Amino acid sequence: MSFYQSKREVIPHFSDLIDAFNREQSDFTYVHDTSTNLQAGFVRANPPDLALQNYNHEMSRFMERGALSDLADLPEAGRIRPEVLELVDWYPGYENRTSVIPYSVAAASVIYNKQLFAEHDVEIPTTWDELLSACETFQAADITPLYGTFSELWTITQGLFDYVVGGLIDSRDFFARLTEVGEDAGPNSEVSFQKNMLEPIQQMLELLPYFNKDARSRAYGDGNTAMANGTAAMYLQGPWALVEIEKAETDVELGSFPLPVTDDPEDRKIRVNIDLSLWIPEQADQHEGARQLLQHLMLPEIQFPYNELALAFSTTDDAPEVTDPRIAEMQPYYDEGRFYMGPSTLVPPTIPFGNYMQAIVLGAEPEPILAQIDSDFARLAYRA
Amino acid sequence: MSVQTSTAGRRRESRAPATARSAAPASAARRRRRVDPIYYAFLFPALAVFTLAITLPAVIGFFYSFTNSVGFGDFEFIGLRNYIALFRDPNILQAYLFTLGFALVTVILANVLAFALAVALTSRIRFRTTLRTIFVIPMVISGIIIAFVFKFLFANSLPAAGQALGIGVLSESILANENLAWIGIVIVTAWSTIPGAMLIYIAGLVTIPDELYEAAAIDGASGWQRLQRITLPMVSGFILINTILGFKGYLNAYDVIVGLTDGGPGTATTSIAMSIFKGFTGGDYGYQMANAAVFFVITVILAGIQLRLTAGKASFGA
Repeated sequence: MSFYQSKREVIPHFSDLIDAFNREQSDFTYVHDTSTNLQAGFVRANPPDLALQNYNHEMSRFMERGALSDLADLPEAGRIRPEVLELVDWYPGYENRTSVIPYSVAAASVIYNKQLFAEHDVEIPTTWDELLSACETFQAADITPLYGTFSELWTITQGLFDYVVGGLIDSRDFFARLTEVGEDAGPNSEVSFQKNMLEPIQQMLELLPYFNKDARSRAYGDGNTAMANGTAAMYLQGPWALVEIEKAETDVELGSFPLPVTDDPEDRKIRVNIDLSLWIPEQADQHEGARQLLQHLMLPEIQFPYNELALAFSTTDDAPEVTDPRIAEMQPYYDEGRFYMGPSTLVPPTIPFGNYMQAIVLGAEPEPILAQIDSDFARLAYRA
Repeated sequence: MSVQTSTAGRRRESRAPATARSAAPASAARRRRRVDPIYYAFLFPALAVFTLAITLPAVIGFFYSFTNSVGFGDFEFIGLRNYIALFRDPNILQAYLFTLGFALVTVILANVLAFALAVALTSRIRFRTTLRTIFVIPMVISGIIIAFVFKFLFANSLPAAGQALGIGVLSESILANENLAWIGIVIVTAWSTIPGAMLIYIAGLVTIPDELYEAAAIDGASGWQRLQRITLPMVSGFILINTILGFKGYLNAYDVIVGLTDGGPGTATTSIAMSIFKGFTGGDYGYQMANAAVFFVITVILAGIQLRLTAGKASFGA
């Protein structure tokens, strides 16, 4: 029985779990696979028996083409919070199946330096204007308000783009309508990037003056180092960065708050993604064994400690509140379902969206690039 | 990428008969009538592996270029739509322009420098063996590691030097500059591929008999004349090999670019191989198979031109 799980940081954790489970029962022997190419596995008709994997556009294709088995009859499927289960449907499904069971939700917002905020008497901003004035305050005090790492594409789309655009528009609805428009996507279609995204992107660009001057050549590691050393007040990153910052072993105190992008504090939301989800391919050799392991992993005493370790939120009704002060401020947003999936994760990966956003952030005119994205969409629909 | 290797294989095959003919002209007629079957036995494993691992996948990939396949599961035939979309795609066009320009500049730069190094390292200088070893080191480091090291240099060390010396262009990472990023990629790629070319040149240079240079010296030829009239003509075959292999390798540029810029800033440095591979992971299998097919045709044409331009003019030393 092969169990696939490749999130690097937690491989040892799951290896131990699998070893323990192998000793506990004797019906099946599970092998922890951390490196096989999933896509190639499906192409060769030899996918893993059970996978615990990031839920994204790439893997949603397995679901969309009916390659994942239906898990609706498992009691575990019924214990998932409805608003979390709903996230699965942001990507196209297959015949109303419950193809995946969300396991771990990572919530991302603005990581901020509590000491710097206190020193300069800055309150956590709840509106766009408050955000800008907070930036002004830090800048006047010669502190980098926002730390950017624009040389790495994913940090631009995950942070700057998703936080601003995800908070401003209903991205699920936008992409659903854009898919309907299909080949006709362009300046005259009902929805399009050049029509609906221009204003949000212009608003996003208003934040650029508050980033570090060398943001364009900085990488993810530089950003984590800067936050660990307390050189910047805010950082548009998720909990994965907190784990890295911690490694520097500085005494910096960090917290998280949702980026406010409107004038109404009620509009604030956090960005989430299903960091890990469980699924069993149709072509699994042994469905019974796969399901047994799935149920084992879903036990509260297995799932909850994992999410605590990974600074993530558990997905079931009875999940406890997170306790880590660095992410605890996001708990109410998670409980109330005030979250969205990052709009950049809804763009088909064949469109070099990260590259486009980088070009805009580095100074290119947004209009022609948004028009280009529309034509990419139209071409994609044409040959779909 | 597998498509590429097959063109290299063809070149090798097309050269083989010429060597055989010149090697044994006397017994050629007899041998043509009765070939020892052991030769076929020798040929078979290579042929089988080549067919199974390269030709067959290439043909299957070509088949998928007429479908909307994502690599597995259901798919439909969509005729020439992939090809039509391909020629309308500005990103693909940009990738071709970038890759061809990059390959051309790099092949010239790398060969000039490799040749200069080879000449220096075959002359009677001190510590020749030590220096040769040192210069070969870049060849044994993996491309992605080289890229990460250089990325750090470009992002931190070079700007620091630029600021200290007051050079405006260098005060910021050139990789973050849409118009200059390609230069960084050329430098790093050349740095890592020069040793390979240099070794081939050294192998060529040592085959030139000393008598030729002695005779030239007696005739009063200058150093420049010796280089132009003796060295270059004698190693022209090695230059040919290096340019063809180098150009082919640079057209496939992938790991160094991924490590340095990931195709950015914007899409300025996305190579063809990168766009093909992104199609594989991005569920755009059929479309990028069409791209690979077009790329294959283009490389075959380029290889044909290269061989035609240099046909019969190459010399592999004495």
